Amino acid sequence: MHDELLFAILPYVAMGVFLIMTIQRYRQRTFTYSSLSSQFLENRHHFWGSVPFHYGLLFVLFLHLAGLFIPDVILAWNAAPLRLFITEATGLAMAVITLIGLGNIVLRRMGDTKSRTVTSVSDWIVYALIGVQVISGIAVAVFHGWGSSWFATSLTPWLWSLFKLQPEIGYVTALPWMVKLHIVNAWVLIGFFPFTRLVHVLVVPNPYLWRRTQVVLWNYDRHKVRSKD
Amino acid sequence: MLVEHSERGEAMGKTTGRWTLALAAGLLLGGTAAAQGASDEAYEYFARNCVSCHTIGGGPLAGPDLAGLLDRRDRDWLSAFLLDPAGVIDSGDVYAQALLRDARGVYMPTPPGITADLADKLLTVIAVEDGLDKSRFAGLQLSDRPLTPVDIALGRQLFNGTTAFASGSPACFACHTVEGAAGFGGGRLGLDLTTVYARMEGRKALGAWLGAPPSPVMAPLFQDAPLDADEILALTAYLKHTSESGVEQASSGVLAFLLTGLGLAAVLLVLFDVAWKDRYRSTRRTLVEGRRSPRLASRAVEGMEGTP
Repeated sequence: MHDELLFAILPYVAMGVFLIMTIQRYRQRTFTYSSLSSQFLENRHHFWGSVPFHYGLLFVLFLHLAGLFIPDVILAWNAAPLRLFITEATGLAMAVITLIGLGNIVLRRMGDTKSRTVTSVSDWIVYALIGVQVISGIAVAVFHGWGSSWFATSLTPWLWSLFKLQPEIGYVTALPWMVKLHIVNAWVLIGFFPFTRLVHVLVVPNPYLWRRTQVVLWNYDRHKVRSKD
Repeated sequence: MLVEHSERGEAMGKTTGRWTLALAAGLLLGGTAAAQGASDEAYEYFARNCVSCHTIGGGPLAGPDLAGLLDRRDRDWLSAFLLDPAGVIDSGDVYAQALLRDARGVYMPTPPGITADLADKLLTVIAVEDGLDKSRFAGLQLSDRPLTPVDIALGRQLFNGTTAFASGSPACFACHTVEGAAGFGGGRLGLDLTTVYARMEGRKALGAWLGAPPSPVMAPLFQDAPLDADEILALTAYLKHTSESGVEQASSGVLAFLLTGLGLAAVLLVLFDVAWKDRYRSTRRTLVEGRRSPRLASRAVEGMEGTP
């Protein structure tokens, strides 16, 4: 029974809350739709937190999404053991730098008075949930390899069965508890997402990546303006 | 609950259709298996859940040959055993204890989703099949020919995934390792298969197991995409070969894998340090300090001009 709760009911609750609450928050509290920056308050420690955390997490997240949307491509790539090892070792390294980044973020938030002041309870919950997610993910990668292959064969069919509203939990119920923890915590994170700073993921100014560069011109003499004071 | 309902609903829909057909056939021919109460559903259940350990007239595998089963024990006893094998064994039943000894102490798992009704239908399937000259459940017809180095090589390729299974089933390497596997070794979701050939006591039982893997993780992947007999023979050859390597389990690649991951992570951090040398992490501080040191100030301004 509790398997049905965790793998056939929790996912729908999480997805439902995610959908309804992200839209509701965007419509009613539009200006809270961001991640409050604290870079101006402290920036020595900030680099070694934010940069490895974001690059690591994005890479690992895209590997998971590839397993969901193009499982056949992943399996074809993994058909040669060397290529499989490259995927897994890169994924593990990215997860490790995510954890290093997260560790630095948490230490900075705890250690610096100004940063701690602007850190809310929901921020701490987010750090705890992401901490559990990253650590359990690393444990799965190390002790229950090779997830890049078995995600595509066991978890992808289960996830699609959820989207088709015919959950087939047989794919997941017999997996090791560490894998189940990783899955369940992921749904908890998705359900909690709309109430946290994580909403900034949905409003990343992606066009910055491809828009044309903007040239800033001064139509006054900068040296004159500066020398006034 | 959602699952059970939807699956049952679907199964019931199918069964109704099949029953209509079966009934028509039964009326025409008289005395077919269906008319005697052995439904298609029970046949399908037997094929999916029982044949990896049992034959009907093909000799014992992990479990006993079921030929003559209903002569050996009465229906009530068999039905009770099917509903709860471990319970009957642990109750101290003498016959069940003997079965446990024959199976080298391995308990028969409770058949998934078993009900009294299904148990009764399964016993009918066994009785009907036992009455035939040759049951369709006489066991996988795996060749008895000697296994060659060519078989072993093909088995290794199938295990590793470098040669794909015809049915598109996932390669063993994703979840299992064996002694002699390349690099960091095979996956560790499932068991180390180095000695599985010896544990299953040979080609026939291992082959039957591979023909319809009953483990809860593998069953959903293989029940609609089974391996063919040639693939099973090659895998059996490879696993016999690893079993004879003299080691109990594969040397673990876990530490090497972990160290590689940590090493790569360190390299990435160094790359980050180089790539963002003059950006992000020190803009404001260098500007402030630059009020005192002209060298730092000029560096900060150069850095600023590089940023969009």
